[in-house]
Amino acid sequence: MICNYPIKILKANPVRYRVTHTTSYEYTGKVGRTYNEARLLPRECQHQNLISAHLDITPKETDLRVREDFFGNKIAYFAITEPHSTFTITAISEVEVHGNLPQLDLSRSVAWEEVKNILENDKRAEVLDARQYTLDSPYIKTSPELAAYAQPSFLPGRPLFEAANDLMQRIFHDFTFDPEFTTLSTPVQTVLEHKRGVCQDFAHIAIACIRSYGLAARYVSGYIETLPPPGQEKLVGSDASHAWFSVYLPDVGWMDFDPTNNQIPGDQHIIVAWGRGYGDVTPLKGVVFGGQEHELKVSVDVARLGP
Amino acid sequence: MLHRDLIVTTKTGLVLRYNNGANKVRAIPLRYLSSRPLPGFVPSEFAQFHPTKVKLRTMNTQTTQTSAPGSYLLGEGDYDEMLDSQGQARPHWSVLMQEMEKLGSAEVELRRNEALKLLHENGVTYNVYGDKGSSNRPWQLDPIPMMISGEEWSDIEAGLLQRAELMNMILADLYGPRELTKKNLLPHELIYNHGGFLRACDQVKLSGHHQLLLYAADLARGPDQKMWVVSNRTQAPSGAGYALENRVAVSRVMPNIFRHSKTRRLANFFKSMHAGLIEIAPPHAESPRIVLLTPGPFNETYFEHAYLAAFLGYPLVQGDDLTVRDGYVWLKSLTGLKRVDVIIRRVDDTYCDPLELLADSRLGVAGLLEVARRGNVAIANPLGSGVLENPGIQPFLPAIAKHFLGETLKLQSAATWWCGQPKERDHVLANLDKLVIKPIYRAHGTTSILGHLLSREQLAELRERIRANPAFYVGQEHVSFSTAPCVTPQGFEPRKVMLRCFAAAGRNGYEIMPGGLSSSAPEKGDMLISGREGSISKDTWVMAAGPEIKYETARNIGAIEGGGNEHALPSRAADNIYWVGRYAERAEGSIRLLRATVKKLYTNPNNDDPDYQESLHALLRGVTNLTGTRPGFLDDDDAALLQSPESELISVALDEQRSGSIANLLRNVVRTGYSVRDLWSSDIWRVMDDMDDHLAQPQQLGTNPLWQLQELLDQQITTLSAFSGLSMENMTRGEAWLFLDIGRRLERAMLTISLLRSIMSVYHRDGVETQLIESLLDISDNTICYRQHYRSYFEISAFLELLLLDYNNPRSLAFQIDRLTEHVAKLPNAGKGQRLSAEQRLMLEASSKLDLVDLTDLLVISKDGIRENLDQHLSRLNYLLNALSEAITAKFFRHDSGPKPL
Repeated sequence: MICNYPIKILKANPVRYRVTHTTSYEYTGKVGRTYNEARLLPRECQHQNLISAHLDITPKETDLRVREDFFGNKIAYFAITEPHSTFTITAISEVEVHGNLPQLDLSRSVAWEEVKNILENDKRAEVLDARQYTLDSPYIKTSPELAAYAQPSFLPGRPLFEAANDLMQRIFHDFTFDPEFTTLSTPVQTVLEHKRGVCQDFAHIAIACIRSYGLAARYVSGYIETLPPPGQEKLVGSDASHAWFSVYLPDVGWMDFDPTNNQIPGDQHIIVAWGRGYGDVTPLKGVVFGGQEHELKVSVDVARLGP
Repeated sequence: MLHRDLIVTTKTGLVLRYNNGANKVRAIPLRYLSSRPLPGFVPSEFAQFHPTKVKLRTMNTQTTQTSAPGSYLLGEGDYDEMLDSQGQARPHWSVLMQEMEKLGSAEVELRRNEALKLLHENGVTYNVYGDKGSSNRPWQLDPIPMMISGEEWSDIEAGLLQRAELMNMILADLYGPRELTKKNLLPHELIYNHGGFLRACDQVKLSGHHQLLLYAADLARGPDQKMWVVSNRTQAPSGAGYALENRVAVSRVMPNIFRHSKTRRLANFFKSMHAGLIEIAPPHAESPRIVLLTPGPFNETYFEHAYLAAFLGYPLVQGDDLTVRDGYVWLKSLTGLKRVDVIIRRVDDTYCDPLELLADSRLGVAGLLEVARRGNVAIANPLGSGVLENPGIQPFLPAIAKHFLGETLKLQSAATWWCGQPKERDHVLANLDKLVIKPIYRAHGTTSILGHLLSREQLAELRERIRANPAFYVGQEHVSFSTAPCVTPQGFEPRKVMLRCFAAAGRNGYEIMPGGLSSSAPEKGDMLISGREGSISKDTWVMAAGPEIKYETARNIGAIEGGGNEHALPSRAADNIYWVGRYAERAEGSIRLLRATVKKLYTNPNNDDPDYQESLHALLRGVTNLTGTRPGFLDDDDAALLQSPESELISVALDEQRSGSIANLLRNVVRTGYSVRDLWSSDIWRVMDDMDDHLAQPQQLGTNPLWQLQELLDQQITTLSAFSGLSMENMTRGEAWLFLDIGRRLERAMLTISLLRSIMSVYHRDGVETQLIESLLDISDNTICYRQHYRSYFEISAFLELLLLDYNNPRSLAFQIDRLTEHVAKLPNAGKGQRLSAEQRLMLEASSKLDLVDLTDLLVISKDGIRENLDQHLSRLNYLLNALSEAITAKFFRHDSGPKPL
C-alpha cells in the first residue's frame, strides 16, 4: 500500500543562490532598547544545503545567540542597548537548492483516507511528529466551510498528492492576489469568503483545508527566485519573502506546493523555516522601548550564483 | 415568624441593632460593620437594614436561633465531616464541638465577626476583576476550622507527595524527551492541542531534580468517603498566604480552643519552600536574590502576593521592575541594577515574556524566557507548567504512575473522561446531565459547567459545542462533597466544603503544608465548583500525633531570613511611596484650608463687614489655587460663586472624579499606597483602609451640609494624622521611609509657598490681613504657638517669621527645607566629601535663601499693592523645590516608556 519510489532525484547540478534580506525600521523618536528574535537564517534540509549565513545588525547587537526552535528552525536572539532611531537587520545567506524532479507522478501516492488512518494510528516517531500538523494552530482553524471548499479536491480514494495538487490549482484560480486586502491577523475564514489575499493567506487556506480532512500540512516560509520580464534587467531588492505549504505522506515525507504560483517548488524555492503556520516562523519579532511611530522597509534580493 | 436582632459593634463602640431578615445579614458590606458611620449619615446601602425600612424575611425552620449541634440539620445522603450517620461527633471533632457548645452559637457568631474585622483591618481582600465600584472584596472567613484527623492526614499527605512527584516527572518529560506522548501514555492531541503547552519552553530546565516547585490540589470527599483530587494547580498556585492569614485570625479569636487542640503548625512549610527556592538558584548565585513577581494591585489575589512577599522577605516586583541585560535578569532598584536569581511568579506563564509569548502583555519581562533557557534565572513554577492543569491528564495518571514510579495512585481522582477519545466522548454526551463539563484549558470566559443545572436546550447546545470540538472538553464525575459546620447568624449549618492543599519542593523532596485553605459554599445546599468565587474560607486543622504547643501568630512564625535582599527597594516602589507622601500631605493641606474656609463661612458670618467679605474671598480663591480645581473661585465672571460658595466647596471636598478634590487626593493615597502594600505595617494599613472605607461611603450631606462637611474634614484630618504619626513612629528609617518623607516635606513646603503667595503677596488692608493671618495660623495649627510666642495681636512680620523662618516650627518652610537637606544627604547618590549632588546643591541654595531673608525687606509693598520681594523670594524657593522633585524623579524612578511589539 505504501509506495516506495523516491520522490525526488537530485539533480547533478544544484542551483546556488545568495539571498539578501534587509529589514529596517525608522522611528520618529529614539528607541532605548530592543529585544528581538529573528528567523531569517535558512535551515538545512533534504532539498537544500546551507553554504553560509550571517546577520548584519545596526546598531551593533549585544548578546546574540543562535539556537534551534521547537520545529528545528534557526532562531537568533539578540538585544540592542544603544539608543537609536534606525534599526536595520540584514540576513545574507548562500544556499544550494536541489529541485524536485519534473517527471514526478503524483498519482502514485497513497489515497488520502489511508494517510489519515496512518496518522491516527501509527506510533512511529516520524508519524507522531507529523501528527502535530493535523491540529488547529494559531491563525489556522479548521471549519465546515473550509472542508466544503476543499471537498472537490478530496474525492474518495484520491491519492494524497493528487488531491493536494488539485487544491493548489483551485486556490490559484479561485483566489486573487491582493496585497491590500489582508493583514497578518485576517482570519482564514475571511480570506475564504472574499477569495483575496497574499501568499501567506493562500498557504493558510490550503493548510486549513487539508487539516479539515485529518491530514498533516505545514507552513513553509522562504524565498522564490523571480525573473524579470523578457528584455528587462532584474532589479536588486525587488524580490520578496514567500510562503507555501507542505503535505505529509508517510514513508515518503513532505511534499511542497506553492498555491500562489501554482507550481510544485523546484529549484527556484529557498526554504527558511517551517511550522504550523505563520505564527511559528515570524521572520522578525521584537519588543521595543520607546520609538513612537515607525516606518518599515523590507527588501529581498535572490541572486542566482550558478550554475 | 422567627428573627433575631443583629448586633453590630462599630469601632467607635456604637452599637447598632438591626431587626433584619435573618440571612440577609451577610449582604451588609463588611466595611459598614467595622467603620465609623458619620453622625447623621445613613449610607444608602445601610438604609435597607434600618429597623423601620426592613422587610422581614420569614424563616421557616428551627435552624434559626438555636445553638448547635441540636439544630444542625444534615442534608439527606450527605457525608458530614463533624457528625457520623448516627449524629455522633467524630473523635477528631469532639473537643472542638464541646468547646463550641460551651461558647454557644451567639458567642461564636460574635467571634466570627471579630475574625472578619481582624481580616478586614489587616486588609485581607480578594479582588474581583471588573467590579468597578470597589474592586477589593473583603476576605470571607468562617471561624470553625475544617478538622482532619492525624490518621486521615497521613494518607492524604502520602497521596499528595506522590502526586507532586508525579506531576514533577510529567512536567520534566513534556518539555524534555516527551516519552509520554511517544509511548502513548498521554494522547498526542491532549498535549499538543493544549493552550498551556508552550513550545517556546521546550527543553528549558531548572537545575536539580525539581521542575515543579509549587503544587496545589483541590480535594473533596468522594463517594467512598475518602478525599479525592478534583483539580490540580501548577501555574502559580494561590491560597497558601490566605491559609496563613486565616490561621492567624482564627487562632486569635479562639485562642483557648486553638491552644488546647493538637493542631499542626504551618511555619515549617514556608521555611522548606524557601530552602527549595534557594536550591534552584543558578549555581553562580552565592546568596541568591529571590523576588516575587505580581501582576499588580488589580490582580484578584494581590493581597496574598504582598502578604507573602512581606512574610518571606522577598521584594514584591512587577514586570517593569525587572529588566534583561546581557543574559541576566536585573531588578531596577534605587541603588542601581541588582541581579535576580530566582523569581517566584504569580503571573500566568503566557504573560511573562512579551518577546516569546504573548506579544501584547504588559505584565512580563522582555527576554525573560531566554534568560531561563540559559539557566541564568530560575522561575518557580517554570514557564509552561500550566500544561499540567489540563484536567484531561487525570484519567491517564494511574498508567503514568505505574510507568514512572511503579506505584498505584494513592489518592483517587474524580473520574474524568476526555472527549478527544470516541468512547469517552460518547459516554460524556450520554451522561451530560450528571457530569461536570470542563474545558481542558482555562481561558477567558471558560468555566466548569454543572450538567444537572442545565435546561434541555442548554444541554443540547452544550452537546453541540462538545461535538464540534470534542478534544477541548472533559466530563468529570460530579463529586457531591461532604458538609462541615459553618457559623451563621442563625446557628451552625452544614455547608459543602472542599480543601486546597499545598506542596512545595524543599531541599530533600516535597513538603506538604499540614493544613490548607478550606472553602465552604455561601449558602446551605449550594454546590462548589471553584474554591474561590463567592465561597467562604475556613482554616484547616490537621491533628498532630503528639502535642504541639507553640502558639502561632504572624509574629512568632517569624519572617524567613531572605538572603541577599537587603537594599533592593524597586525604584517603582520608591516612586509610589514618594507619591503617597505627596498625596497624603496635599490632602492634609487642602483639608486644612478647606476646613478653615468652611469655619469662617459657617461660624460668625458677618456679611455686613467688608473686611470679612474680602478675607473670605481671599481664602476661597486660595482654595481654588491650592487644590488646582480651576476655574472655581478664580473665575472673574462668576461673582455669584463667591456670594454662595457652598456647592463649590462641597464639590472640592467630595467629588472624587474632580482632579485635586479631597476625595480624589485620598483616593490617590489609597491607590498608590495599595500598590506598595508589602511595605506597610498592619497598623498603617489599617489607617489606609479607613480612608478607603470613608471613600466607599456615599457622602450625602443632610440639611446642614457645611456643618457636616466640617465634621467629615475633622475626621479626615484625624485619619491622616494617624497615618503620618504611624509612619513617623513605626517605620524603619530605610529607603522607603526616606522617600515617603521627602515626598511629604516637599509637598508641605510647596503648599505653604502656594498659600502664602496666593493670600499674602497682595497687600490687603490691615483689618483684612488680620483676619487672614488668623485663618492661616489656624490652617497651620499654629494659633496657640503664635499667641505664646508673640502677642495676641496678629501682625504680619511675626506671622511670617513663624511660618517661614522658624526652624523649630514643624509647619514652617524652614523646617521642611531643613528635613529635606538632611534627607538628600542620605540619598544613594549623595556626594561624599566636598562634592555635593545636584539635590544637595538645590537644598543648600534653598536654605541659604531662607537664612538670608530680611523680613522688613520682604514686606515692602510696591505702588500697585504687591509684596514683590516676598513673591519673588517664594517663587525662587518654589522653583528650587520643583527642581528637586524633577531631579529625584529623573535619577531614581523609572522613566521607561512601556514596551511595544516591534
